[in-house]
Amino acid sequence: MSPLAFALRGLVRQPGRAILGIAGIAATGALLFDMLMLSQGLVVSMEQLLASVGFDIRVTATQATPLTGPPIVGMADTVATLAALPAIEEVVPLRLGEAQVDIGGRSREVTFMGADAAVRRPWTLLEGRDIDQRQDTGQPRLLVNQNLARRLELAPGATVTLRGACTANSSVPPTVFRVDGIAEFPFDQASQLTAIATLRDFARACGDAPADGADQADLLMIASRPGDGPTAAVEAIRSVRPDLAAVTNEELVARFQQVEFSYFRQISFVLATITMFFGLLLITVLLSVSTNQRLGEIAALRALGFSRRRMASDVLWRSALLVGAGGAVALPLGLALATWLDALLQTMPGIPANLRFFVFAPRALIVYVALLAVTITVAAIYPMRTVARLPISSTLRTEVIG
Amino acid sequence: MLITRQLATAKGLSVGDIVSLASTPDGNSPRRFRVAGIYEPVPDPMRLAAKRLEARLHLPDLLSLAADSSDPLSAESVTAINVALTDPADADAFARDVSAKIPIAQLTARAAQGGEGTATVFVVLDRFHFAIAVVTVIASTMFLLALMVMLVEERRETVGILRLIGLRKSRILLQVFAEGLLIAAAGAIVGILFAAALQGAVNAFFQWRYDTALIFVRITPQIAWRCVLLAVPLGVLASVVSSWTLLRSNVLDLARR
Repeated sequence: MSPLAFALRGLVRQPGRAILGIAGIAATGALLFDMLMLSQGLVVSMEQLLASVGFDIRVTATQATPLTGPPIVGMADTVATLAALPAIEEVVPLRLGEAQVDIGGRSREVTFMGADAAVRRPWTLLEGRDIDQRQDTGQPRLLVNQNLARRLELAPGATVTLRGACTANSSVPPTVFRVDGIAEFPFDQASQLTAIATLRDFARACGDAPADGADQADLLMIASRPGDGPTAAVEAIRSVRPDLAAVTNEELVARFQQVEFSYFRQISFVLATITMFFGLLLITVLLSVSTNQRLGEIAALRALGFSRRRMASDVLWRSALLVGAGGAVALPLGLALATWLDALLQTMPGIPANLRFFVFAPRALIVYVALLAVTITVAAIYPMRTVARLPISSTLRTEVIG
Repeated sequence: MLITRQLATAKGLSVGDIVSLASTPDGNSPRRFRVAGIYEPVPDPMRLAAKRLEARLHLPDLLSLAADSSDPLSAESVTAINVALTDPADADAFARDVSAKIPIAQLTARAAQGGEGTATVFVVLDRFHFAIAVVTVIASTMFLLALMVMLVEERRETVGILRLIGLRKSRILLQVFAEGLLIAAAGAIVGILFAAALQGAVNAFFQWRYDTALIFVRITPQIAWRCVLLAVPLGVLASVVSSWTLLRSNVLDLARR
């Protein structure tokens, strides 16, 4: 009989303790797997989110995040200069602000944006038709997100009144917009109310003077040409406009990884280490106690001719079966647990609804399997040593007398 | 002006130094200020990863520094006005009165409660850590049961002999219960002492990592009691459940006769 089959029979002979051990390993393993998913989850999710928008470069006036720094002035010239670069396929200027809307007799804040997009759009149209800066129909038009449409019972063709609050001390008269469509914005928070208009209508709602306010943008979203790639496009931007701050999605994610997401990386590292240590300790205790209870049986087998190596491999296989079975059960358990934990963390303010904290990635699975392999080996070292050094005759005598 | 400890460290500033500040990125029209003191900013979990490079100026100094010559109102504008009430319990009523009696569209009056967003972040993190704790307790309980089943198995013959010499099942169960209670209580106390010893290291690591005075881990008496109230019944339950099958077995089977 092979050592694996022998170890398997040993575990099956005592199903109660084997099931409890596997259940404990499954719970610990699920937690470990979740912490590994959390360690890179936000970064992977942010990468996916940024890639889904369709633009791979963002340009601002300074290194500060939009709205906290100054806007890009002379927007029209800047857009024309950058759009003329061969490495760039499209430039979409964006303005970010706020507006107030009355919902149920109370004034509610709406994230209000302005954008002039020709081909690519940093939003997904769900219903109705898109806004287009090339069509001037007289009445301002906008797109709203599903939250705002639901709260105000808006459908394409309806009208909505916004009070632009795009700058401090803003006191412009309300603007009546026609809703052209309902759109999904990738970075919306779960309950965020969002509306977007063309830059001209945005400036009108914000009361910007045509001389200055209308020719500025908080952010330029840029799509590089597929053949050139974002790095070449950023270099081209820096060569013609060194005063602007241009970052690729990759650089943005690296910045987030260093600053914004570091808390969850640290906490996942700490919790993964504690979980690993905890699991290792408990499996070692389980195997050691189990081996100590089998000393008489092991000594008898040794007396029958089983080698030390064979008996030590039996312990190792027991460890592998326990940890392997528990680890396998832990995967679906961990995915279910991650869904629950993700829903908990999603309620945190400032988190886009499409951003995930726990993301399955092959790397997490590889690290998980490697950690289980380490656990199998390390947990079995002490009981294997006990088995290898077991004195046959004295153990048998003690067992018989006992 | 006052500057944060982080800004002082980053720029090598100390009390008495003269610094130039400008309100525009190009640094035009700078004004000179003397560093009168260095302060530790109030820890804010919402800005945990942000470098707290901040300075505090007298309001007239800030207004004159940031004033826009094309906007006469800019020298008379502030972002917020903080009001301290004689009785803080009146905050909500006062906020309602202000909103009703000062009809300025952009004016919002609300009771300060430590920042709505900040409180929510704490609540969410608390729930997250509680969920992790629940999973850890489930895993521990499984392991504990497995261990107790093994240990009880080891005492099979002892229990058989005790039954043979006349001890009743309830008497043995009481002994198991007392043993479980003692072990669980000792385990809970050791666990709390270990956590208390470790909290300093965890706080020191995260405070160093994020350059903040924020306290990340604090073992309060309430948390310690919660641990004891959870761990002791679980330990006792594991002892009793694992012993129960043994006590139901035949006496001669237990004694292996």
